[in-house]
Amino acid sequence: MGGKRMKAIAVTGVHFTYDDGTEALTGIDFHVEEGEFVAVLGSNGSGKTTLIQLLVGLLKAKSGRIAIGGREIGSLTAEELYQRVGLVFQNPNDQLFAATVEEDVAFGPRNLKLPEEEVQVRVTEVLAAVAALPLRGRAIHHLSFGEQKRVSLAGVLAMRPSVLILDEPTAGLDPAGEAQMMQLLKKLNREERMTVILATHSVDMLPLFANRIYVLDRGRVLQQGPSEEIFCHQEMIDRAKLRLPYVSRLMYEMKRHDGVPIDGLPLTIGEARAQLLELIPKEMILPGIEEIGS
Amino acid sequence: MFDLFSDIFTYRDNALTRIDPRAKLVIALAALIALLTAERVVLPLFVFGICLGTVITLRIPVKLVAVRLAAPLSIVAVLVVIQTFFTGTTPLFTITFAGWPFTAKVEGLRQGVFLGARVLGSVSVVFLLGVVTPAHRIFQALRWFRISRNWLEIAILMYRYIFVLMDRVADLASAQRLRLGYTARGRAMRSFTALAGATIIHSLEQANRTHDAMRLRGYRGTMPFGPLPALGRRDRLITALCLIGIISARLLEWGASG
Repeated sequence: MGGKRMKAIAVTGVHFTYDDGTEALTGIDFHVEEGEFVAVLGSNGSGKTTLIQLLVGLLKAKSGRIAIGGREIGSLTAEELYQRVGLVFQNPNDQLFAATVEEDVAFGPRNLKLPEEEVQVRVTEVLAAVAALPLRGRAIHHLSFGEQKRVSLAGVLAMRPSVLILDEPTAGLDPAGEAQMMQLLKKLNREERMTVILATHSVDMLPLFANRIYVLDRGRVLQQGPSEEIFCHQEMIDRAKLRLPYVSRLMYEMKRHDGVPIDGLPLTIGEARAQLLELIPKEMILPGIEEIGS
Repeated sequence: MFDLFSDIFTYRDNALTRIDPRAKLVIALAALIALLTAERVVLPLFVFGICLGTVITLRIPVKLVAVRLAAPLSIVAVLVVIQTFFTGTTPLFTITFAGWPFTAKVEGLRQGVFLGARVLGSVSVVFLLGVVTPAHRIFQALRWFRISRNWLEIAILMYRYIFVLMDRVADLASAQRLRLGYTARGRAMRSFTALAGATIIHSLEQANRTHDAMRLRGYRGTMPFGPLPALGRRDRLITALCLIGIISARLLEWGASG
């Protein structure tokens, strides 16, 4: 990772209460460094959506401080803010309002008053990045749900934000769509150095992608750290009404109930496989039958 | 129900979908003016026949044509009945309904058929335009004609969210039906009222979320539109030929009337 990186997002002591009196966030601290892939994990009503709405300026904090790229959110103009942070909504229908894919993706760049050539370059680039270039001329209402998700991501990427925030990006997708979306985000993070913040309650894929995880419960941060640190606190996971990734749960149960000598807690299929291979006698393993992915 | 709004045919590749929407809009407008100023039944029926023939040639399902023409046909039927029985002086025949005698008149029937033919002709022009031009291309063309940006913006959003709301309404209606919401007349009435209320609430919520999403991508009250290419030579030629055809037909009719 190298030397100290700049804070892409710095949230300090933020409180937020809705008009009906619901206390959504109670003195939350949340920090993300440039180029990090951070997941915000929490059950329904934990405050994830409120937090991300504060980060993009859709809600205003009652108290506390929010800084984006080192500047107070209140001191940024709308143009500055939305070129720094982009939000992909959970439901693509909320976000795709133009008649065609091309018009929708071009909406942001045209609002930035870019020359039309530059708008077209950006549209082509981002549609290619999300594997949606063949959809360019299609009507939005003719797209499948997975295609709509990718196009809504393209619309935000066309603003070229340095921080990309996604609210439940895999909700409603089939397993293939889910894997494709996560790979896409990984690529943006690893290759384009884009800071990615993901609000989710789906835990299975996170150990593969997230550098750090924040666990939220009733408007507070219960814990934050790398996935191996987070998922070893079973009690905290239960308290946040979450669960371990399925593979970890299996290994945990084998260790706890069957006494299988498993070292630590594997979080991915690859880690679990490596550990099991160590435990199974060599003569029982038939090499090269079939490769399985990790 | 949803065939009524289906636009899949506008994305087919054929001679009419390839014509620039601006050209199609000018031709349709000229045809409508000719129909509205028509003085005899022949021109509207001729236009109706041509449009219907084109639609059938394009292999648009008859069911869709029937569904889309059902409403205007009902209006035509009402028009003919009202005109036949309530205008004119020369009796044609008399019927008795609930003890009341109603006399149909020749002039009324003629006037009803004429008005009905105009409605059918005009509707068929708009219908043909609608099955060979996607809505967003029509909006683009309207922009070229300097139609108010605010109107266009509202039209674009309405067009986009019609489909989203229809999906939601269909889901809600199915959920009501599965719980016997439409098994009796009174219950059906209550279910329908609840459905209408829920649709309004959904629309408001959708509008709020969409406005948020637009703001996050730089929306400040005006939707930006991309530039339109210059009208091609082929499209200009088609427009000119069609306009000559329409004007000639109208003049011929005028001459025949005179």
